[in-house]
Amino acid sequence: MAILEIRHLSKSFGQHQVLKDIDFTVNPGDVTSIIGASGSGKSTLLRCINLLETPSSGEILYHGKNVAGRGINAPEYRSHVGMVFQSFNLFNNMTVLENCMVGQIKVLKRSKEEARQNALLYLDKVGMAPYINAKPRQISGGQKQRVAIARALAMNPEMLLFDEPTSALDPEMVGEVLTVMQQLAKEGMTMLVVTHEMAFAKDVSNHVVYMADGVICEQGTPEALFGNPQKQETKDFLSRFNKL
Amino acid sequence: MEKLIQLATDIGKLWAKYGSSYLAGIRSTLVLALVATAIGCVIGFFCGVLNTIPYGPNDPPVKKFFLKLIRAIVRVYVEVFRGTPMVLQAVFLYYGLPYFTDGNLRFDSVWAAAILVVSINTGAYMAESVRGGIISVDPGQTEGAKAIGMTHVQTMVNVILPQALRNIMPQIGNNFIINVKDTSVMFIIGFPDFFAAHRAAVGASYLYFPSATVEMAGYLCMTLVASFLLRALEKKMDGASDYELVQEDPLVMTAGTYSHPNRAPFGEQNREV
Repeated sequence: MAILEIRHLSKSFGQHQVLKDIDFTVNPGDVTSIIGASGSGKSTLLRCINLLETPSSGEILYHGKNVAGRGINAPEYRSHVGMVFQSFNLFNNMTVLENCMVGQIKVLKRSKEEARQNALLYLDKVGMAPYINAKPRQISGGQKQRVAIARALAMNPEMLLFDEPTSALDPEMVGEVLTVMQQLAKEGMTMLVVTHEMAFAKDVSNHVVYMADGVICEQGTPEALFGNPQKQETKDFLSRFNKL
Repeated sequence: MEKLIQLATDIGKLWAKYGSSYLAGIRSTLVLALVATAIGCVIGFFCGVLNTIPYGPNDPPVKKFFLKLIRAIVRVYVEVFRGTPMVLQAVFLYYGLPYFTDGNLRFDSVWAAAILVVSINTGAYMAESVRGGIISVDPGQTEGAKAIGMTHVQTMVNVILPQALRNIMPQIGNNFIINVKDTSVMFIIGFPDFFAAHRAAVGASYLYFPSATVEMAGYLCMTLVASFLLRALEKKMDGASDYELVQEDPLVMTAGTYSHPNRAPFGEQNREV
């Protein structure tokens, strides 16, 4: 059964319609990449899925239950669906370790020791275990993003959303974050990734969604979408990337 | 030079006779400023937090109405107490209470009245500072907290307020120093602060200028020490500028023995909203 089904999702900011009639499905273990030009609505879609933006209409079915409607416990839903941001959003008033513990303690009501062990497990996984005593301002962008991934993983979520996780990073730091993400994909984590990294979309994901002007223009396997795009817009977009 | 020697002997005379009342005044001033600033901060944080509770288009109308009402009440409180002189507020409350209750209700001690007036005054200023402090925290911090499932209250307590508090420390310090000086107007209701000691001393000795010199030096000493301590406190809040790398593998004790806990499925967890 699908984890997430998006049905006829639309979002408007005032008169401006950013998302129009979005439909797609995420199955367990899927690594879905959402690609498209800036301003095509990719990030808004991801933010709607995590209810950071309220969809104007349509349904977001999480295990068959519509979470976009009224009377939904949004905080609890979010604790099952982790999110990694472009700008990291680590808590500046806490150390690396505390960043990964606070959600477990306050939201999941785990004991301090349990939270610590679990946090260390994931910090070790992303290679940040030596830095547990550092504050976010003392580590580099790539390191911050790896901590942010560990923070999301420490909640033991069912799926992870990535909102352009490497776009704010210097080129030499992109690799370390992508390596971690690739590792997660290999281990079967369900992931939904908004990205400009075409290599990641092509090689790591098993489903690619191309968005343009607030609609899903084309979607399919990476082989089909990159190898044999059907629509002219997709071809144009991909050829621009191939030239780079 | 002669004049300075004259001044020194006059101050000596004053100090011999009224030294203990000056010191008692300094103590009262500091206690009042400290207590009132602390209570004022609590009021300010309370109002600032109430003022920044978000509501969206999807919230029920009742919630929106109450939030708007709360904001209006806080706004009136801030405008009234920021917009009138503290010396008048003291008179107004201290004499207004028995006036309206035909003497049945009155302030039993000037301490209670003084603390009340200075606290709500500080609170009115702090409410705006706290609001500013909360707004100045990067909205990404709120999103990060929401994304791991924190409620609004949890986000505020664990993430936003600690950072807002650090941001407004300079203003809390400002308020404390202002309070040290401005509590001098509490002589109007007979509060025995440092300035009241001056009034008592000159009333008997007529040494106006020497006593004023003592007051000037006394207030300046208090505020300078306060400034210094506040700077030190801010530095402490910032924490160490370096950190220690953990060299040994922190998982060595538990490696392979720890399996992460199972989560209750969505919707079956009993949690506060």
